[in-house]
Amino acid sequence: MIEVRDLIYEYPTRRALEGVSLSVRAQTIVALVGPNGAGKTTLLRCLAALEPPYSGAVTIDGLDTREHPREIHARLGYLPDFYGLYDELTVRRCLTYAAWSHGLAADAVENAVATAAKRVGLSGRMENKAGELSRGLRQRLGIGQAIVHEPKVLLLDEPAAGLDPQARRDLSTLLTSLRDTGMTLVVSSHILAELEDYCSEMIIIEDGRIVGGRPIKVKDVERPRYLIEIATARADFAQFLKDAGVDVVEVDEHHALITFTRNAPARAKLLRDLIAAGFEVSSFGESSKVLEEAYFSQIGRGAA
Amino acid sequence: MGPEFRRNLWLELTTRRIVFMIGVLALVFFAAAVSGPSYTPYSAAETLYYLIVVIWGARSAGLSIVGEIRDHTWDLQRLSSIGAFEMVSGKLFGSTIYNWFGGAICLVVMLVYGFTHGTPGSAVLDLIYYVVVGLVAQASSLLASLIAIRRRSAHSRLDVFLYQFVGIVAALAVFYLWEAADPAGALLLGKKPTDFIPWWGAVVSARPFLLVSLVIFAAWVLTGCYREMRRELKMRNGPLVWLGFLAFIGLYVAGFDAWLPHDSNLPQWSVVALRLALATTAYGALTYVMVLLEPKDRVLYRWYGSQVVSGAVGRAFWSLQAWIMSYLATIIVALALVWWLLMRGAGIAYPVLAVAGLGFLTRDVAIFVFFAATRRRGDFAAIVSLLAFYVLIPAILNGIDLKSALPFFYPAPSNPIWLGPVVAWGEAIVATALAVSRVALAEKRTP
Repeated sequence: MIEVRDLIYEYPTRRALEGVSLSVRAQTIVALVGPNGAGKTTLLRCLAALEPPYSGAVTIDGLDTREHPREIHARLGYLPDFYGLYDELTVRRCLTYAAWSHGLAADAVENAVATAAKRVGLSGRMENKAGELSRGLRQRLGIGQAIVHEPKVLLLDEPAAGLDPQARRDLSTLLTSLRDTGMTLVVSSHILAELEDYCSEMIIIEDGRIVGGRPIKVKDVERPRYLIEIATARADFAQFLKDAGVDVVEVDEHHALITFTRNAPARAKLLRDLIAAGFEVSSFGESSKVLEEAYFSQIGRGAA
Repeated sequence: MGPEFRRNLWLELTTRRIVFMIGVLALVFFAAAVSGPSYTPYSAAETLYYLIVVIWGARSAGLSIVGEIRDHTWDLQRLSSIGAFEMVSGKLFGSTIYNWFGGAICLVVMLVYGFTHGTPGSAVLDLIYYVVVGLVAQASSLLASLIAIRRRSAHSRLDVFLYQFVGIVAALAVFYLWEAADPAGALLLGKKPTDFIPWWGAVVSARPFLLVSLVIFAAWVLTGCYREMRRELKMRNGPLVWLGFLAFIGLYVAGFDAWLPHDSNLPQWSVVALRLALATTAYGALTYVMVLLEPKDRVLYRWYGSQVVSGAVGRAFWSLQAWIMSYLATIIVALALVWWLLMRGAGIAYPVLAVAGLGFLTRDVAIFVFFAATRRRGDFAAIVSLLAFYVLIPAILNGIDLKSALPFFYPAPSNPIWLGPVVAWGEAIVATALAVSRVALAEKRTP
């Protein structure tokens, strides 16, 4: 759905993106993470055909951003990190304007507005002015405006910034449901915890480059990540896991982060083998912070 | 009705505001009607029209995009399916709809007065003039704001005032031109109003000529808005429209040769030479205006270089900035003028002056590029430099009776005669080399 090849983007005073290449499959949620100033927002703006590349190519749904920017705009939803709303308009009018401006047919607008409002949980506030909404509700309205035309691709820049825990959970549910309806989402953030619930792949960007050169699969239904902890340090821990045919993501003398089959008997066997080999296993469980672990296992390794 | 226009209707034309406008205008007209012969509803309507449509309307138009950027809603609009024309018309007429509502009331009052106190033809001409002056003011302000966005300028109140100021200046130009052709109107520069205008050897009636000119220039301003909007929406603009504008402005300005003083000692100064000189001057002026307005983006200049090196000259040409095209047009027409003068045996004084002028033009655009290469406010430094070259230093040289040094700063007759162009092109080469090396140095420093 999204293809980026050798993308270079330059501001007059600095090069913001340096030969970025990536590919995002349809109907996935990809996290775009990295330190502040790494180039996340610039990359998103290039994906949104708001900034033309200095060199390289970006294609969205098969369309080149340089050649067909307006066609891409029609297929996109984008919520920037700093976005505004028309505070004097009601929620209904904000969504109606967004629907009109995306070229929806007149007879489809009312239905599209109602659907978008329902999706973002604003059906009961249609006559409230945007300026009267709380931050969380404004965020929902911003997303509602971005999805009212059922875009194929939705780009969100720091969507959960400033939201309370409940609003973040609602956002997570919303994004997952949007993916399930067929959208492809790219969500930028530098707060990994908020991406944990809904992202299946992660693109780490550092100093304008993709770390590792490609998206990293952080959630694999068949082979999730497991964290093993042993009470007494063992120098041969890594070698044992390797000999056992385990994919090791990270390991030291006390911990190992591995990807392993979800198959219960296979996991039970691995646990038995560890204990039989004298490892004092104090913990063996599916990792709950896979994104964070994947991020810190990659960051600082340098770009491809 | 486009979505942007409809959104503006929601925001601008609320019932409360409509009632307020009608109430205030009714009160003013009533006060003017009962206050005596020095004030009439017509004069009040005319004054209010300028206030509401020209001055306030220019501000509304200037704010129409700047306000969106300030409120972080501009990206939402840019990512819509709204076309450039629809966006321009929605912004221009939508953001000013309240001003036009008040202006329409004033126009009705003026039309009624015009029909009852003058001829219907004159009333209709006046109506067209008022609509055009409002449109030019608002479109000029919108265009100024669109150009400023391109330069990534700030969006402060002062900036909005500057866009409004551009609109008001454009309206003033229209106003004075119109007054010049008004047999009963005020005087332009102390001269009598003119009934006829000589243009391309023909003598045409002043009012229709100026009205058509105003409409055409308003159309060009709107075209400028449309093209800048296309750029904002990330659509590509080719060079053809600007080249078309250059052709138009060259032909339009060249027609005013009869307005130039003819030197009786120089019979060689043919009409063709005068017309070429006028076109050269117009193109030179446009070069200065556009090099000031357009961003001197070294990333773009490097891109030009890479395209030329890789043989994609056509691609580079298709993306040429307006100031570069204007500069090339100045060079071409000026060289045609020099060739024409030499062929006609007009002597070398004027050709030499023209060549020196081209050298100084080249120096000046290089100064703009030089200062813009690394400074955020480089244009200001360039303007100060040019003020020094054209005003301050010549004033000092005149004061100390060193007039022979004037050809070192701007086109002036020199002794020996070849000194002027040699100095001018020497400075041009040095300034260009400095600009290129500064751009290259800035590039090296880019991480």
